[in-house]
Amino acid sequence: MKNKVWVWMLLLAAQLCSGVAMASQEENKLMAVFLGRFASYIELPDRGSKHFVITLIDENPFGSLLDDLYLGKQINGKPVVIRYATKIEDIGQSDLLFITLVNPRTRQEAIDYGAKNSILTISTAMGFAERGGIIQLDFLQQQTRIKINHTAALKSNIRIGAPLLSLATVVKGVAP
Amino acid sequence: MKFSDLSIRLKLVALLGVSAAMALVVSAILSLVLTVLSVRDESLRHLRQTADIAQDNLTATLAFRDNASATRMLASLASNPRILAALISDDELQPFSTYVSPAASQPDVAAYLAQVAALAKERHKQLHVEREGFASIAYGYMFAVNPIVFDGKTIGTLTLLSDNVILKERISAFVLMQVLVSVLTLVIIAFISIRLQRVFTTPIFHIIETIRTIAQTKNYTVSVNTIQNDEFKVLYSHFNDMIAEIRERDSQLSRLATTDPLTGLANRRNAMEVMQTMVTRARRKQEPFGLVMFDIDHFKRVNDQYGHPVGDAVLKAVAATLTRAAREIDLVARIGGEEFLVLCDNSDLKATQHIAERMRAAIEQTEVFCGSGTTPLKVTASAGVYASIPESEDFEVSLARVDAALYRAKETGRNKTVNWEEE
Repeated sequence: MKNKVWVWMLLLAAQLCSGVAMASQEENKLMAVFLGRFASYIELPDRGSKHFVITLIDENPFGSLLDDLYLGKQINGKPVVIRYATKIEDIGQSDLLFITLVNPRTRQEAIDYGAKNSILTISTAMGFAERGGIIQLDFLQQQTRIKINHTAALKSNIRIGAPLLSLATVVKGVAP
Repeated sequence: MKFSDLSIRLKLVALLGVSAAMALVVSAILSLVLTVLSVRDESLRHLRQTADIAQDNLTATLAFRDNASATRMLASLASNPRILAALISDDELQPFSTYVSPAASQPDVAAYLAQVAALAKERHKQLHVEREGFASIAYGYMFAVNPIVFDGKTIGTLTLLSDNVILKERISAFVLMQVLVSVLTLVIIAFISIRLQRVFTTPIFHIIETIRTIAQTKNYTVSVNTIQNDEFKVLYSHFNDMIAEIRERDSQLSRLATTDPLTGLANRRNAMEVMQTMVTRARRKQEPFGLVMFDIDHFKRVNDQYGHPVGDAVLKAVAATLTRAAREIDLVARIGGEEFLVLCDNSDLKATQHIAERMRAAIEQTEVFCGSGTTPLKVTASAGVYASIPESEDFEVSLARVDAALYRAKETGRNKTVNWEEE
């Protein structure tokens, strides 16, 4: 009898995990799409680059999704280049930096790097916007929530379009 | 009552009024159609403008699948009470966010949205490939469907539903105004028609009145005149010509009725009428009235010997002599073949006898030419004379007496005047 209960519980957990996994896949897909769409509402300082560089630092939750999605696509009239970095030093000259760093300290370093180099920083990490990241994405109950640190954006000479701001929760200033 | 039974005045007023009313109705219908089209286009343009404005912000909500923001933004449409509903659909036409006005009927809105969704499905190419929206008016509502385009691609559609209240109100206001203006215009047209009809009816009534006057008075000397220089002038001219012709014919008929055609003297009938008048007046005024009756002596012989043309010439010559010898107040008439009657108004026996004798002597001196190379013919005439203050208005008594006197003149030798004497 006890074994049967365990079997049922395992099956239920597997089902739940499968659901979560499917939801996560869907969120990742949306996130991958959103990265490009954010760029449409953002005005970055002109660096004279011929490409629009999206850099993903640390773990890649998208697999080949980003490459597939942006293959042959253009953002702001420029061909998209996807780069994957594991260290801050690898970020280089980017337009958009998607940060999946789990370590708060290194994540902050990435934020600071982005701020210094006028890079649009995006992450799903909690408190990302409050810490100086520009766009924080949350997926809650299959709903998208966007949090924007407008002060950080302005400090990085990045202008964010009103339509995007109208959707977002705007954070001003940076938490100590 | 038939139209043909109406007076010309009413016909003209009716024709002018109906013509103007027809023009007014056609103009009103055209204006109404143009206004409906204009108001319709304007209403749809406003709806599309509203959709365009809303779409700018809503694009981001759909782009980032932010349903909450989309719902919040759509809810701001509540400030426009005419908006019944708004729907954002994704690129697979699945509803993403919906707003329905609290004042709207939910079942109606659901039905309307279903109808528009079906249309949007039909126009998939227009929305997704051509990236062009569409708007139209349906029964009870109007709608606009805009593609939500992001980065050159249609990622969904925005559908706005609005009621037709403003459209109906504006059309109703226009119809009301049109009716009021039409009624006012018809009143003015009726007034103008009544004034204008006089231009046509006044000359007609003038002619009718003239005809009536002529019929009552038999006075054919009247004529009609107009200052108008149109067909009425021609009508008046022809009417005057016709009256002149009637006047001339009347005159000729009158002459024929009262005149002896051979001698030009008054005929018997005219003589009798004038004598009745003279007798009546003489009796009323107790004045004497004289009669002389002449008969050409042996006139039958003249006819037999010289022929009727000479006889006629004799009659003419005698008539001319009598006319010359008569006073202005006397009337000389031929009352028979060779018999003449002279009516001497206000003449006693002496004066009448004097006139008769003067006439007889003049006849005796008259020469009638019967042709070149022949001796002029001379004739004599006998005359009976009678004069008195009439005892009655019956002139036959006087006529019989003067006839009797003439008979005695004939009996007693001819070429003489004989007074009537009571036997």
